[in-house]
Amino acid sequence: MHINPDQTLDVTGAKCPMPLVKSRKALGELPVGQVLKVIATDRGSIADFQGWARAAKHVELVAQETIDEASGSLYVHYLRRTA
Amino acid sequence: MTTLTAAATTAADLFDRLLRDTAPFILDVRNPDDVARWRIEGRNTLESCNIPYYEFIEDADTAIAMIPTDREILVVCAKEGSSQFVADLLLEHGIAASYLAGGILSWGHYYDTREIAHGSWGTILQIARPARGDLSYLIVSGGAAAVIDPLRNTQPYLAALAETGATLRYVFDTHVHADHISGGPQLSRQTGAPYAIHPYDALHPIDMLPARLDYTPLSNGQIFQLGEALITTIWYPGHTLGQVNFLVQLPGGSRFLLTGDGIFLRSFGRPDLGGQGEAWTPLLYESMTSRLLPFLTDDTCILPAHFATLDECDTAGRCTDTWGTIRRTNEALAHLESPDQFSRFVLGNLPHFPPQYVEIKRVNLGLSAPSDAEADELELGKNICALAQ
Repeated sequence: MHINPDQTLDVTGAKCPMPLVKSRKALGELPVGQVLKVIATDRGSIADFQGWARAAKHVELVAQETIDEASGSLYVHYLRRTA
Repeated sequence: MTTLTAAATTAADLFDRLLRDTAPFILDVRNPDDVARWRIEGRNTLESCNIPYYEFIEDADTAIAMIPTDREILVVCAKEGSSQFVADLLLEHGIAASYLAGGILSWGHYYDTREIAHGSWGTILQIARPARGDLSYLIVSGGAAAVIDPLRNTQPYLAALAETGATLRYVFDTHVHADHISGGPQLSRQTGAPYAIHPYDALHPIDMLPARLDYTPLSNGQIFQLGEALITTIWYPGHTLGQVNFLVQLPGGSRFLLTGDGIFLRSFGRPDLGGQGEAWTPLLYESMTSRLLPFLTDDTCILPAHFATLDECDTAGRCTDTWGTIRRTNEALAHLESPDQFSRFVLGNLPHFPPQYVEIKRVNLGLSAPSDAEADELELGKNICALAQ
């Protein structure tokens, strides 16, 4: 995926709702326009980040990808702060 | 300043309150797609709403304003964490809230055991998985036991057997299920009791592949003596080709009919889950009007394999009624005047066919072996085995 994030947040192992709580905080600390990459292990984060991006006023979900590793799947979300 | 911490409500507490119609207001904080697949259902008076947890994170005041403040609230999420988060937030805003321990996952795996009948002859227990509307049975008499339609987790059956001290003699499935994974083969391996199904069901109706598991074939009119109970098989094709009903006759003349997905309290099993709805509907008509009728007396207690709504259960959780009542109150049975009328009614009222039902039958025939997580995924949601209401 050809996206260059401005910052990366690792929330592997964190359980719901922490991946989203931490991502919201980290994104709020970025300048408008920048992209945050979030790496999670909670499969529910795929649908939840989509829902959150729709509900939130200043979040654009740029892309999502699933990376299958021997130790389990990683769910990667790219979020842009829009305002 | 002290932080308020919400208390947990267990699945057992929740079920008890759903039955008594005293359940709290349900606030489901999962995303709407997950709620559409599976939600907590109670009696038809149960109140609930769906506000995803991220809305509480994004704009707590707006989300909280949508919740009744004069009601006790039970917050529900997938596993537990988000519901705990939201329940704590509500408490801080003066709203009485608890969260469901283990989330919808633990609700889905909750089993409830209730007594249907008891006497000097023995006991009949109904073991339910209320979230899915699945029902199964343990019959004990004279130190011997039979389990019918066991659900995926075999622990409740092993626990009930240990409590009664009975030896399991038979594991029966009324048919090879499409909506849930049978615990029958595993219970048979754990106890050494034979697993018995009708051979017509030992073939996947869509794949046309034979079962890859050990089973004892059942046939029409077999009689099993279980202590003082007599169990007779009645072949009842329609929902599947090899469905059987089990008539249990006790000393003193009480009669119980385990109908599987034949007759439910308020509907009956759909004939299309084998992919052959038009061909199997006339078979179902014959089963209902000819094959079964000689065995049905008004005082026969019907024990089905499913309920569609909790209103079919009494306040103790028992889902059963006499044939005398069911033949008058089950509106789906009012279309039996002719095979044509019946076919029009049935084929016009078939609900959505959940695609995973094809795979679940593979699992139940030993053709596929999912992991526990994959099995959970296959069994998501309530059964859709009855005709549409």
